[in-house]
Amino acid sequence: MFDFLALPFMQRALLAGIITAVLVGWVGVYVVSRRMSFIGEGIANASLTGVALALLAGWAPLPVAILVSLLTAAAIFIIERRTVIASDAAVGILCTSGLALGVILLRFFQGYQPELVSFLFGNILSIKISDLVVTEVFGVIVFLLLAFFTRQLTFMTIDPEGGYLHGLSRWGYDLLLYSVTAVTVVLSIKLLGVILVSALLVIPSSISKLFSSSFRSFRRNGILLSVVIVVFGLFLSYWLNLPSGATIVLFGATLFALASAAHLFIRNQ
Amino acid sequence: MTQSTPIIEVSNLNKTYQKQTVLEDISFAVSSGSVLAIIGPNGAGKSTLVKILLGLETPTHGTVLIDGQKPQVARERIGYVPQRFTFDRTVPITVHEFLMLAACEEKEHTRTSMVDRALQEVGLPNIADHQLGALSGGQFQRVMIARAILHHKDILILDEPATGIDVAAEKTIYDFIRKLNEERGVTVLLISHELDIVFSFATQVICLNKRLVCHGVPKQVITKDVLQEMYGHLAGAYHHHCDK
Repeated sequence: MFDFLALPFMQRALLAGIITAVLVGWVGVYVVSRRMSFIGEGIANASLTGVALALLAGWAPLPVAILVSLLTAAAIFIIERRTVIASDAAVGILCTSGLALGVILLRFFQGYQPELVSFLFGNILSIKISDLVVTEVFGVIVFLLLAFFTRQLTFMTIDPEGGYLHGLSRWGYDLLLYSVTAVTVVLSIKLLGVILVSALLVIPSSISKLFSSSFRSFRRNGILLSVVIVVFGLFLSYWLNLPSGATIVLFGATLFALASAAHLFIRNQ
Repeated sequence: MTQSTPIIEVSNLNKTYQKQTVLEDISFAVSSGSVLAIIGPNGAGKSTLVKILLGLETPTHGTVLIDGQKPQVARERIGYVPQRFTFDRTVPITVHEFLMLAACEEKEHTRTSMVDRALQEVGLPNIADHQLGALSGGQFQRVMIARAILHHKDILILDEPATGIDVAAEKTIYDFIRKLNEERGVTVLLISHELDIVFSFATQVICLNKRLVCHGVPKQVITKDVLQEMYGHLAGAYHHHCDK
């Protein structure tokens, strides 16, 4: 039943999946607490420009997509703070512009592009050793940033004014959070696809929020649930011969529906 | 620090938002160790003044100095209790965790004892494990005061701290703030609509209505004319507080 674990592509997919699941679960706690779930969708869509550019130039798509996503995150951050445009509008404008630019760039590419399709919908077969290396390197950097600045990121999420009065930078930690969110989203794209990646940013932390009594347990459960959803979603996609991204997201959504029903039941007892 | 040393100096302060004047030519100084009340009608610029003192807003013209430093530099010397804390109450975080975010520098056990002591001082010794979002308005306000006094602060700014608090808890809070002022020499700035509190509690008052209407000892400067200028036809509600 688990023979497939000996397959190299499955091992790469599992390793990349677990690394990104930890990051997505952790970042998702902040994203859900700040009610900025739309940012994952926006950054993922905008990163298509990076993928298209890389494919046209013959470069590795993941690093270019990370660079474009970081620029997008910085642009969203600046528009939010320097103009009267609201956060969701800023994300909406940049997300669709990035997607549109990606589509225009891909118009110049001749023929079928399997790499592009794997970025759009996610494909465990498409995770190469070079992708795994990029995921590991950036994954470790994001993990260390999250671990080192946990208190600051939590403080600026719960009470930005209070954090500022206790000596924290008003904008620095928000920019850091946007940046780690951007990198995390792009690292998950090969597994889940541009279209579905934002779901994993919100599903585990939303389930965790239902049953957690402290921020520590909220974060821990969010990470654990994210890993469970990715690993079992990958197994299901292999056993049922279904696309990995869609299977992971649907498995997570099913868990969310069950958890919500259980939460309602417990509350009404 | 002596009573006469100004710890806050505001000079010719102006603030405009999109050509709308919110504060106009405000100048005053606050002595170290004093209790200054700030009164004025809604829209008088009280909260904007507080935000400028905290360094959250910058003046359009004029200067604000906290012990000779810009507010952005001196902000860690100020404890602040906002009137409303915009917090998503569905986020699971305990009172202990919330206070620990602010108690950052010391060791874990020292931080925990700081948190316990602060909760004890505001009369909430047994709520450390409660979820912040489940607290009543009054408990919430006292937790905010507990956070403001976690570290020794030179200045405490309270924006209507008794909002949503019952009479008994209100007395506990004001007694505690008075103790902080008298025993630790903390300078207190208090925004309040309650003139009883202003008269009994404050050593100085500034009356604000976009510009400075009065500044001085409450019983000397809060007159019927001043109240009339600030509150217009609603001033009658406050007249029983004034002799003059």
